[in-house]
Amino acid sequence: MMDEKDREIIQLLQDKFPLVSEPYKEIGDKIWMDEVSVISRIARMIQDGAIRHFGPFFDSKKLGYIGCLAAVNVPDDRVEAVAAVINKFDEVTHNYLRDGVPNLWFTVIAQSAERREEIFAQIKKEAQIDEILTFSSKRTFKVRVNL
Amino acid sequence: MDSKTKKVLSELQDGFKLETKPFTRIAKELNTTEEEVIDIIKDSLNSGIVRRIGLAVRPEKIGFEENALIAWQVSQDKIEEVGEDLAKINEISHCYERDCPPNWPYNLFTMVHTKSAQDLERLIEDIKNKHNLSNYKVYRTKKEFKKTSMRYFND
Repeated sequence: MMDEKDREIIQLLQDKFPLVSEPYKEIGDKIWMDEVSVISRIARMIQDGAIRHFGPFFDSKKLGYIGCLAAVNVPDDRVEAVAAVINKFDEVTHNYLRDGVPNLWFTVIAQSAERREEIFAQIKKEAQIDEILTFSSKRTFKVRVNL
Repeated sequence: MDSKTKKVLSELQDGFKLETKPFTRIAKELNTTEEEVIDIIKDSLNSGIVRRIGLAVRPEKIGFEENALIAWQVSQDKIEEVGEDLAKINEISHCYERDCPPNWPYNLFTMVHTKSAQDLERLIEDIKNKHNLSNYKVYRTKKEFKKTSMRYFND
């Protein structure tokens, strides 16, 4: 379980990792904790799964990649199999089963539009899906602050 | 992007290794100085290639039991106002206007995380009433099949 100190560390590290020689010492100084304790708390939260990623977050567009949200509608008994086909691609970063129609939602970050279409075509073929709905972002109002 | 920048970012893409002096170690490996490694990272932040450096948590592990994708139908003349307003809500982590397939009316996509189903209902009611939105779809998260960070650099 997380305690107050863990929450403070998360708060401090949300978007401002100190770019100094001894970053954990700087974090520790702010919350009256030595750097070894700071590091071991972060390690524990990564281990627990509370922290999913700890490092840089890249802007895929600026790196020349094309992102896209996609959705397919799959009968209950085929969800696991279709999800497994979708998950095979490194370019698929998120894949969720949701209530509603369509029910399987995933994101693709591809190096080109051609590659993206290739991925969709392969998913359709391998998972025997007729239609993939695509939703590319037109305007970003907010992108993950901490979640 | 120059090759040194690429090497530094590639070294960091899977996350920090939890060492007391991360930049000294990277500098040694790339045969450069700690100052240069830090400068490269700062430049990447300034140019926007790196959006931020820090951590991402799993909402469900820190008490957000209800997670949902909610797509709203918002008219073009209101989308900027509504999008910017929804972006201010704590429980909303992502908010995008999206290009949608034909016959798909819900053009404003939000990811919503709340502590309970009740809180989610309450938040939806508030948004509906404030912006006069009657047409929307709630896609509650049932199962996570994959959630990773993209690896942009090949080792």
